[in-house]
Amino acid sequence: MSKREPVSNDTTGGRGYSRRAMLAGSAGLTVATSGCVRQVRTVVNRDDVEQLSLTITTLPADGDRESIQLAREVAAVLEAAGIDVSIEMRSNEEFLRAVLINHDFDLCVGQHPGGTDPDFLYEALHSLYADESGWQNPFGFANLRVDDLLEEQRRTDGDDREAAVEELLEEVVREQPFVPICVPEEHRMVRTDRFDGWEDGHPATRLGYLGLEPSEGTDRLRAVHVDARPSQNINPLTAEYRDHDPFVDLLYDSLATERDGDLEPWLAESWAYEDGVLEVQLREGCRFHDDEPLDADDVEFTYELLRDTELEEGESPSPPPQYRGPAGIVEDVERRDDHELELEVDAGEAVAERALTVPILPEHIWDDRATPATVPGVRVAGGTTEAVTTDNVPPIGSGPFRFGSRTERAHLTLERYDDHFTLRNDVDLPGPTVGELRIQIDPRSTSAIELVSTDSADVTSSILETYVLDDIEEADDTAMLESPSWTFYHLGFNARRAPFGNPRFRRAVAGLIDKAWLAEDVFHGYAEPTATPVADEWTPDDLVWDGEDPVTPFLGGDGDLDVDAAREAFEDAGFRYDGETLRVRR
Amino acid sequence: MLVQVLVQLAVVVTLMTLAGIALFVGRYRLRETRVEWKDRVRAATPITVVLAVVLLGNSVARQIVPDLSWMIDWNPTWEIYDLEGQFILWLQSFETPVLTAYFSFIYIYGYVFLLVFPVVAYFALSNTRPLRELLTAYTLNYTLGLLLYIFVIAYGPRNLLPEVQALMYDTYPQYQHLTRQVNRNTNVFPSLHTSLAATVGILAYRTRDVYPWWNLVAGVLAISVAISTIYLGIHWAIDVLAGIVLAYVCVELSRVFVGRWSLSERVALQRWLPSIRRQ
Repeated sequence: MSKREPVSNDTTGGRGYSRRAMLAGSAGLTVATSGCVRQVRTVVNRDDVEQLSLTITTLPADGDRESIQLAREVAAVLEAAGIDVSIEMRSNEEFLRAVLINHDFDLCVGQHPGGTDPDFLYEALHSLYADESGWQNPFGFANLRVDDLLEEQRRTDGDDREAAVEELLEEVVREQPFVPICVPEEHRMVRTDRFDGWEDGHPATRLGYLGLEPSEGTDRLRAVHVDARPSQNINPLTAEYRDHDPFVDLLYDSLATERDGDLEPWLAESWAYEDGVLEVQLREGCRFHDDEPLDADDVEFTYELLRDTELEEGESPSPPPQYRGPAGIVEDVERRDDHELELEVDAGEAVAERALTVPILPEHIWDDRATPATVPGVRVAGGTTEAVTTDNVPPIGSGPFRFGSRTERAHLTLERYDDHFTLRNDVDLPGPTVGELRIQIDPRSTSAIELVSTDSADVTSSILETYVLDDIEEADDTAMLESPSWTFYHLGFNARRAPFGNPRFRRAVAGLIDKAWLAEDVFHGYAEPTATPVADEWTPDDLVWDGEDPVTPFLGGDGDLDVDAAREAFEDAGFRYDGETLRVRR
Repeated sequence: MLVQVLVQLAVVVTLMTLAGIALFVGRYRLRETRVEWKDRVRAATPITVVLAVVLLGNSVARQIVPDLSWMIDWNPTWEIYDLEGQFILWLQSFETPVLTAYFSFIYIYGYVFLLVFPVVAYFALSNTRPLRELLTAYTLNYTLGLLLYIFVIAYGPRNLLPEVQALMYDTYPQYQHLTRQVNRNTNVFPSLHTSLAATVGILAYRTRDVYPWWNLVAGVLAISVAISTIYLGIHWAIDVLAGIVLAYVCVELSRVFVGRWSLSERVALQRWLPSIRRQ
């Protein structure tokens, strides 16, 4: 405004202000106001400090009864600590889609697939995976020290590896990238009058359904599963539909199979490790269910596909959301002949074998799927390929059972694959002993139990919910089967969002969770509280649960939070309170 | 199991309907119906066809509704819970085996009877308008209900509060085979059970001069159905309120629609019938 006047004055030929004087005047005014504005700006342009408000994403009781209860208990203690909490329930596949694929969550509560070997943490926590979709680092956790230790435990063997794992676990519990809450017991109900040998294999793996001894005249194994997803999608690479179920492993073979934590030859007749190279000898004469031969080309193809589902045709790699940990061990595959391969691995012997657990996919089917998925008129996110989005019905694998039929949300029926190598006379491995494996979908544990007790089913392939266990009546021709568990319930933080990237905040939250009380109250005692996410034999002595959490003990007792102590913990972590509410800068 | 439950349901509802005919409809109206049934069927045919199409479409559409809903992804379950709190737990604190038996009976048998009987009762009237309004209101309920189900993802109380007892399924597990055919767990807002029951209730009130006793029975049944959905832990109280609102909207709309259609029908018939006859 001040500049306009002199211009008009000049043109009208003047009322005595020289141009220079005006310039000097306006410059002075600018200086004066700019100082004032800067001060205003420093006061006004600050992000507001508001109550911390977060959403816990979890499953409804129909999906996982324990998860929603845990989520509500976590919500209650967070609210007591002055945080505004809401809970969002999502169905099984939508929960995984939000957490694993889109990373669209603040906190999540659910079951983590875990693993029998601590190497699963490489997949779960390595920062290289923070930008990928799937069980590989859904938390967006990034810590160089943890990365180093993850790599060290991969490369070492024996005592060195044990020491590396110990150091890794200590760093992990210090950082609390997620809070491991408890390890649930796995109970299933089986009929003993129709089948024997239930204890020989873990019922969450293929071995649980192979080598069973049927009674006279029994040619049909009837499983009842409470989760409908296996009837909707049978793609080994679709993370949203895969969980703790054995059916993909029955349809697809892997080179090795796991028994009690150790790996045994399966599709590979043998292997040998030397200096970062796994020499693998395939079984000869194996065929896929569509009668196409299975040879070294398919194995090579599988590892390529698991590295990049576009097979290096895209602008950048599109890794699948499944099997990243084991497949990532393999750096290069060299085919020697039809049945001999060399896998160049970036790992010591102990971890290298883990690479052999991925399902071998037929090249002649999956080659066409290595292209970006398209939906007319919709922009599809980069890296979304047919391979990870197809429902893969009918699935063509080489496993001991082949696809028979399915009705969504009702059943998935598999048939014995008569050409499977386990049925050969010279192979001493458990094979399919029944002509048909029918997986009936029934949404509740109570009715699943009823189906087994009324002789309408032989096994509850899903883990029974803990609340029904006390009411199960003993009978002569049924039995309860308890199996070791490597999954665990956890509270996950999305470190991509403030303040969950702050380890001090995560540690403070961990201190609000009474794991022992939750294991007792929510799981009716059928769970073990835990401080570490790995199996007992890998847990270092000073991280063993001894009545309370050795690292982040509960601030309170018997389920009752000491609210003052909780607030102090957050204040010690650098957060502020305004009255009752925890304030953060957003 | 499902077949057994269905047969049982058919037998019980048939018996109840026969009793209802004897008690409320009466011999006089039946005699008249025997004479006039052709005209009445003709009058009710268009809307019956529409209803049948909607019901068929509904059963197909329900397969894809969950996927559509998750694409829209509006999930207000927590807000519903925040608003009404633990009302259900309070209601369930009055639980007795007798109440559970009563409300389970109402939820399955009472409900189906409540929907079937007025079709028979209104068919027995010379004036076909109540019948057509009833069928139109049913059609609207299913159509608007399905639309709401597409836009709203809401889980029932049982899913958020596992301590809410699934009273009916725990006591009579056979029924879940039936309800599972019809219901998806993300479709609880609004309560279609309530809205259809309330629809019958409102219409029964409007026809109370013709069927005074049915008005009373329908009222009691409709209120029982509404309470049963909450008591059995299937719906939130807010779903029930929304169901009542939906019922009111459907009844009002059906009144408007039936007026229009019968008018257009008359015009159309007068114009078309002579030409058809001439042919």
